[in-house]
Amino acid sequence: MTSTLPVAAPAGPGQTPGTGRRRPLGRSLLARVRPWMLLTPALLVLAVLLLWPLVRVALFSLQDYGLREIVSGEPNWIGLGNFVEIFTSEQLWAVVLPNTVVFAVLSVAFTVVFGTAVAVLLASLGRVWRTVVSSAIMAAWAMPAVTGTYVWVWIFDADRGVFNHVLQALGLQDAPVNWFTDRWSFYAIVLLNVVHHGFPFVAITVLAGLLGVPKELLEAAEIDGAGAWRRFFSVIVPQLKQIFAVVIILSTIWDFKVFAQVYLMPGGAGSNREVLNLGVWSYTESFGQNRYGFGSAIAVLLTLLLLGITVAYVRTILKEEEL
Amino acid sequence: MRRDMWTRKRAGAVATAALVALGVSACGGGGSGDSGDGGEVDGEGKTLDVWIMQGTNPSADAFFEEVATAFTEETGAELNVEFVEWADAHDRFVTSIAGNTTPDVAETGTTWTPEFADAGALAPLDDYVAEAGLGDDLVDGLVEAGTYEEQLYGMPWYAGVRSLVYNTEILEQAGVEPPTTWAEIEAAAKAIKAEFPDKTAVAVPGDAEFTVYPWVWGAGGEVATLDGDTWTSGLDSPEAQEGLEFWTGLAADGYSSAGATTWRETDVLDAFAQGDVGMAIMGSWTPGAVVEANADMEGKFAAVPIPGKDGGISPSVLGGSHLSVFETAEDKDLAFAFVELMTTGEFATKWGEQAGYFPGQKSLLDETLQSTDPLVAPFAQQFVEGGASVPVSPNFGAVQAKLTTSTMMQSILSGSEDVATASAKAAEEMTSLLNGGS
Repeated sequence: MTSTLPVAAPAGPGQTPGTGRRRPLGRSLLARVRPWMLLTPALLVLAVLLLWPLVRVALFSLQDYGLREIVSGEPNWIGLGNFVEIFTSEQLWAVVLPNTVVFAVLSVAFTVVFGTAVAVLLASLGRVWRTVVSSAIMAAWAMPAVTGTYVWVWIFDADRGVFNHVLQALGLQDAPVNWFTDRWSFYAIVLLNVVHHGFPFVAITVLAGLLGVPKELLEAAEIDGAGAWRRFFSVIVPQLKQIFAVVIILSTIWDFKVFAQVYLMPGGAGSNREVLNLGVWSYTESFGQNRYGFGSAIAVLLTLLLLGITVAYVRTILKEEEL
Repeated sequence: MRRDMWTRKRAGAVATAALVALGVSACGGGGSGDSGDGGEVDGEGKTLDVWIMQGTNPSADAFFEEVATAFTEETGAELNVEFVEWADAHDRFVTSIAGNTTPDVAETGTTWTPEFADAGALAPLDDYVAEAGLGDDLVDGLVEAGTYEEQLYGMPWYAGVRSLVYNTEILEQAGVEPPTTWAEIEAAAKAIKAEFPDKTAVAVPGDAEFTVYPWVWGAGGEVATLDGDTWTSGLDSPEAQEGLEFWTGLAADGYSSAGATTWRETDVLDAFAQGDVGMAIMGSWTPGAVVEANADMEGKFAAVPIPGKDGGISPSVLGGSHLSVFETAEDKDLAFAFVELMTTGEFATKWGEQAGYFPGQKSLLDETLQSTDPLVAPFAQQFVEGGASVPVSPNFGAVQAKLTTSTMMQSILSGSEDVATASAKAAEEMTSLLNGGS
């Protein structure tokens, strides 16, 4: 930031013994303060829009905060009561957490693998076909989650859906099956939906990286006798490590927070308790029942969980980098 | 886009939190209403803000233009009506209560009134009602639903009721008469299924709680009862289980459809409008929507009150709306002048006719009951002879939000649990929620 300022060449006072010229105290103070002054408006906006709500959520998570407290404005501290309730909830361990974590792992894996495969395909296409294919996948990306979810719901609708229709036409199934009532088939549909919606981002990002891999490297590897698979895993993948890190972290965050894609499915709003995930659970448990403190506590936990995953992941990447 | 969605969601959460935060700091001003000094209301130069739910009355715009003219004539004040979607309404009420930005008067769904009253957001109306001499002329079921801790917070406005709606063509071709007992329902469903194997003989939806309670009551069971301060759900009583057994048994025998396990009432309506359903529990307000969705259905369906087990009528929930005055209203006399204008006399009748609902004033209801329309008379009979209320508790909203009844229905319909297990679980959860647990 400082380097873009029209201050004299040194990036910051104190680190530049070489320049030799001591400036008057007033000017050096001004130089030191100026970047912060320029940052102030942005920081203020961030503090109001992000930091303060974050702090409020943390404060709410320690209270039994409902409609009555909202109206009266009185706090109602209960210490760690909300957290105790969350951790002692049988539903969390038996249903909510497994659904959330297993689903996130699977969908991140599928999204990244499929997205990368599409990126490789795109990289090997000529200009015309690359435009055509990337426009097609952009359409999937551009579709709002709500619209996309309804399309999948129609496809798998028990009575009028095309999926059951085809199965019956092929004689694989005698009577219509409601795919939304079973935990596994329900999440298989959510997985299709989320991967379909998420892979274009991965494909486009990885494609950008692929195009940046030096041709000489690949040619050298080919001359050394490396096959296509070998070239991909030993040359390209290491080159794209950072890109994969970003893509995986972002996908993990998104797929942990999946809400609309589950909530809007038949039975997904809470009437099928088998398919609750963290997002829907916190919504129905807290906001449906005006238990804002409890909802905040879940939000705090989700944030900490994601923060933990991200930190751990970034650290492993950095460590490998150092070697 | 994926990324946009992520940020948008976060932004939404942040905005909500910010609103909540603002609300906390903005609170402190309260209602300082001077209730009922009687006489003429002078609203010259004032504006009354009103929230009305969208979609109840197809010609609501024209209706409220007329109301506004009459209101200005009577009080001198301007009327500012804002339409709110049912789906967003609860959240909007909560955020506006938090931000002290509630309207002066709003339409509140009957199950919300005790909840908002409990939060201290609504003004009691008993004095105004007494002064206007309306005390004995309001429909009991709606008064009961609008009364919290012995005070009336919701002025009965309109209500509807669900009955058994049937496709006349399907029943005729299957050679059955409209059923009057449970055994006849089953026989009719069997005959329809034999004639039309691809149609849904009777829709048994899994995510529509109000289509479930009639069978519980019809068999002599209770949804929940209050004893002293303690609620007890009766969903697991032998009577309730008998009713549930009958209703879900229709699906188990193949008279419903696989998809219906996850249907909501809107899905029932869609399927019925397509002519795919023989019989279904549907509301008195739905015939208009059926014809609107499929003009071919005009004149091809009718209704009967939900049959009792051995004849008579199985009770059904009176669902409707109150008009409530909020504590933030500066001029409560003016607010009630509007409430009275809307809920009594000419405008109440007109609203009922246009929207397909019954008015909340007894003397007006009597006129509606004279109707002979096959899509009005059966509902009217159900309304008067077979009307019931869900448990009147500020916590019933929590039961609804947790989808306790739908959960029970879906696990029975999908075959994952039997009636005894599922109803025991539901009763336990409902009892706990109604008593303020979680």
